[in-house]
Amino acid sequence: MTTEAISRPLAAARPRLRRKTAEGVGINSAAGHLVMVLLSLFCLFPVYWMVVTSLRPANAIFETSLWPSSISLDNYAYALNAIPIVRMLINTFIVSIVVTVIQLFTGLLAAYAFARWRFRFDKLVYTAVALTWLVPFQVVMIPNYLLVAQMGLLDSVVALILPHFASALAILLLAQSMRGFPKEVLEAARMDGARSWRILWEVMTPNLRGTIASLAILIFISTWNEYFWPLLLSRTAENSVVQIGIQMFMTSEGNAWGPLMAASTMASLPILIIYIVLQRQVVQSFMKSGIR
Amino acid sequence: MNRKTFLAGALALLATGPALAQAIPASVDQPVTITFYNYNLGSAGVGKDATEKLIAEFMAANPNITVQGVPYSAGDGNARLQADLAANQPVDLVQLGFNSLDYARTNYAAKALEDLIPADELAAHFDGMSPNGLKLGVLDGKTFGLAYTFSTPILFFNADLFKAAGLNPDAPPQTWAEVKAAALAIKDKTGKPGFTAGIFGPSAADWLFQGVVRSNNGSVLSADRKTLTFAEPAAVEAVAMIKDLYEGGAYENIDINAAMENMAAGNLGMYLQTSAVQGVLVKGATGKFDLRAAPMPRFGDKPTRPNNSGSALVILSSDPVKQRAAWELMKFLTSKHGYTIITSEIGYLPLRTDIVNDPEYLGNWIKDHPLVQPNLEQLSRLEPWDSMPGPNYSQIVKLMMDGAEMAVFGGADVQAALSDAQANAQALMP
Amino acid sequence: MAQLSVSRLDAAPVRRRRSGNWRISPWLYLAPAIVTLVVWIYWPLVDALRLSFYQWNMLPSSPQTYVGLDNYVRIFSLPKFWQALRNTAVYVLGLLPLAVLIPLAIAIYTHDLPARSRNIYRAIIFVPMIIAPVVAAAVWRWLLDPGYGMVNAGITWLGFDPVKFLTDPKVAIWTVIVITGWKLIGFSTLILSAANANINPSLIEAARMDGASKWEIIRDVRLPLLSSSILFLVMMTILLGAQWSFTYINVLTGGGPLGATTNIYYLLWDFGFSSMSVGWGSASAVILFIGFGAVAFVLFHFIDRFSFHDN
Repeated sequence: MTTEAISRPLAAARPRLRRKTAEGVGINSAAGHLVMVLLSLFCLFPVYWMVVTSLRPANAIFETSLWPSSISLDNYAYALNAIPIVRMLINTFIVSIVVTVIQLFTGLLAAYAFARWRFRFDKLVYTAVALTWLVPFQVVMIPNYLLVAQMGLLDSVVALILPHFASALAILLLAQSMRGFPKEVLEAARMDGARSWRILWEVMTPNLRGTIASLAILIFISTWNEYFWPLLLSRTAENSVVQIGIQMFMTSEGNAWGPLMAASTMASLPILIIYIVLQRQVVQSFMKSGIR
Repeated sequence: MNRKTFLAGALALLATGPALAQAIPASVDQPVTITFYNYNLGSAGVGKDATEKLIAEFMAANPNITVQGVPYSAGDGNARLQADLAANQPVDLVQLGFNSLDYARTNYAAKALEDLIPADELAAHFDGMSPNGLKLGVLDGKTFGLAYTFSTPILFFNADLFKAAGLNPDAPPQTWAEVKAAALAIKDKTGKPGFTAGIFGPSAADWLFQGVVRSNNGSVLSADRKTLTFAEPAAVEAVAMIKDLYEGGAYENIDINAAMENMAAGNLGMYLQTSAVQGVLVKGATGKFDLRAAPMPRFGDKPTRPNNSGSALVILSSDPVKQRAAWELMKFLTSKHGYTIITSEIGYLPLRTDIVNDPEYLGNWIKDHPLVQPNLEQLSRLEPWDSMPGPNYSQIVKLMMDGAEMAVFGGADVQAALSDAQANAQALMP
Repeated sequence: MAQLSVSRLDAAPVRRRRSGNWRISPWLYLAPAIVTLVVWIYWPLVDALRLSFYQWNMLPSSPQTYVGLDNYVRIFSLPKFWQALRNTAVYVLGLLPLAVLIPLAIAIYTHDLPARSRNIYRAIIFVPMIIAPVVAAAVWRWLLDPGYGMVNAGITWLGFDPVKFLTDPKVAIWTVIVITGWKLIGFSTLILSAANANINPSLIEAARMDGASKWEIIRDVRLPLLSSSILFLVMMTILLGAQWSFTYINVLTGGGPLGATTNIYYLLWDFGFSSMSVGWGSASAVILFIGFGAVAFVLFHFIDRFSFHDN
């Protein structure tokens, strides 16, 4: 194993990459930490501002102090009254969980097909799947709406889930990790007489935990934050998702900043929890898969 | 059902408009459900609360009629509305932005009131409404919409900043020249931006732009609705005036949302915008600064010719019973009581001028809210917001506004930019 | 050995030879995904192709008028079209550091930190992803306001003039790029951290025993092995960068000032999708799909040549 043989082809290709990482990585630990702290501030400050604003009293919304002069839960009370936010949070949660599970399922199945077999038209289908990623949602929004209307599912939670049964991102990422799976293990399993279904669920999937957890986080978040499709679909506030609820505080006659921030904070907490829970899975699996 | 009234009504109908397949019943005798597409329902706050209250009151008074309020966003080209029509969902009564009125007439099968309602019933309901207000929803001589939530452009100003700049807040600027002078004084003496307007911006469409152009006796659309005219001399002169305000430092280019917040926070001298934002401004001003209002500025001595912003109620249903139910709801919403709620609780203009001084309705409220006065005064000079014809109406408006923006903020030559835009947009006219 | 590859099916999976290359199993596994994608994405797309030659308002009661290439001509002759294309390139180039380089640096740097600080840093970097895009846009607009925003308060305190982040044509596009990037750092960091952790530690050990310095290890071992993920992210940024910034453009600038922040995706949304005239919208969809599809095609080949695997 020579490091030189690996580095030469790539060295020519990406000088910009290396230069930038040289600055960013910081062999010097203090410099590295400083950069990370600055980045953390950059990432965190707007979110911090959102939470702090939601805790300000209604007449002091435009204050610029870093900590509220007085903590008030008025905005939360108003938000809870003005829109059925708890119901919306539940709806959003259900939709996000179901979509995540289903997309992982169909993604695993499809990725397995690509990784395990060579079959006629496989390249074509793979490209076709990848290309769907390019299709912006607005393009298919109205035809999907008409289809849902024909099915009689307007204003239902089911309709929020249906178009998301499969996604290119899930399939591509999973196919990518499956291809890296050690073939010896697969061969061994097949020698033992295991059929493809068992191999998928009992041999491959447990070892893809890191990728699956990362993907789960991403799918959950993207479904949670989805706006256009629920906006088109939901006719009553009780059947809609929390993003619609948040938007109701943004009118053309001005934003109701306090309740808006309160509703957004409430809408962000569940995702934060999911991230923390799943992150542990991701990290643990990293530790495990490192040892081969 | 009163036979005589029905016969008289039917005869009147046959005599006036084109022959109809069916006349609508004079009242609703069986239970019926109608859908009411409304954009106030889509935002949390006073708009939604007041609308829900009105709907509840109506249903209590009309036990046979059930109203389903359907919120939709008027911003994105009426996506929900159009999608529902395409999906054959029942869409009976719509609160429609005036700029989509022509489109609704040709594409959504909007019904003309004269075709549906007996003439005497119509006349009785229109009695007491501002004649200018009624004209707002008229296309080709027929009333397709009744103005529902609408307002006029108002010059809000900060009296405290005026005093600090040495200006007299009791004599606000009446002409654009005075606006320029006042704005420069405010900027000079207080450091705060002097003036901005809600003319440009993604949510502005062209309603305020039309008002400014028209006040210089220009127009954007010809009377026969076939030719665009915003590159003609009077319009060019109006745009050149705005450009001069900007380049002279009087008109501050502030993002349309930020402008309202800055005004509410007391950081802006003058703000020309729809009176619908009054609620937000008043809330921000209470206890902080003295907020006042003046009518739209004039071009020299020419009287202003503002147009309205806002929406009209339009009937789309083709079922006679539902049409009657929708008309009953429309009558309720545009009644004296209806407008009282709309004006006092949401903040729009009342189409009925007679309730303004009537203590039973708005009389007392008006006394407590003097800011509404310029609004009411402009009602007598109100002209319709020209809705562009044809299927490409929104693209035409975008091209026009892009051209004007290039001229005002982008430093382009006004005549050239507008002529270019007009040529491009004319290609999209039907 | 662990590896990640973006190249299409060139790593040879195990298979048993059967007659012809025709078997039913892969199709059964693919079926749910294919059905979904066909019904919800491909069928409307094909319909869009057909409708792009017509003018129609979507209502069954209205006629569909054939207009040939009119819709396409109109879109290409929009005054802002070429500006939007140029801006799209600016968006992509501007997003690459934020969506690829900085996350790469973070992923590599934090990998070697003790577990606690690593997890804290990574969680903080991820937090922007949790906020709804519309809310993020609203908060940023507030923070960047020239009058009362915190950022300008800091700038004026340092003695400079307030910067008009969203209304100055020269600055606006960079503001939107930074905000879009701000949101994405967590996403890329997550993917790159996962890939980084999959690198076999024995390779790193071997290089260290050969006497390579930390920097040399990164340059010669990690980067090549991360190359497929890096290239994956680069490709994603190029193809989807314009879409990612959509919400921010929509809420913050509407494509302005004077078209400074519009990109091809936003422009086509503004004139096509948002107007509900099906002809414009369908033509926009076809243009976007074919345009970005062609770019994707080129990128796929490019990646195939440079992608690298550890075998």
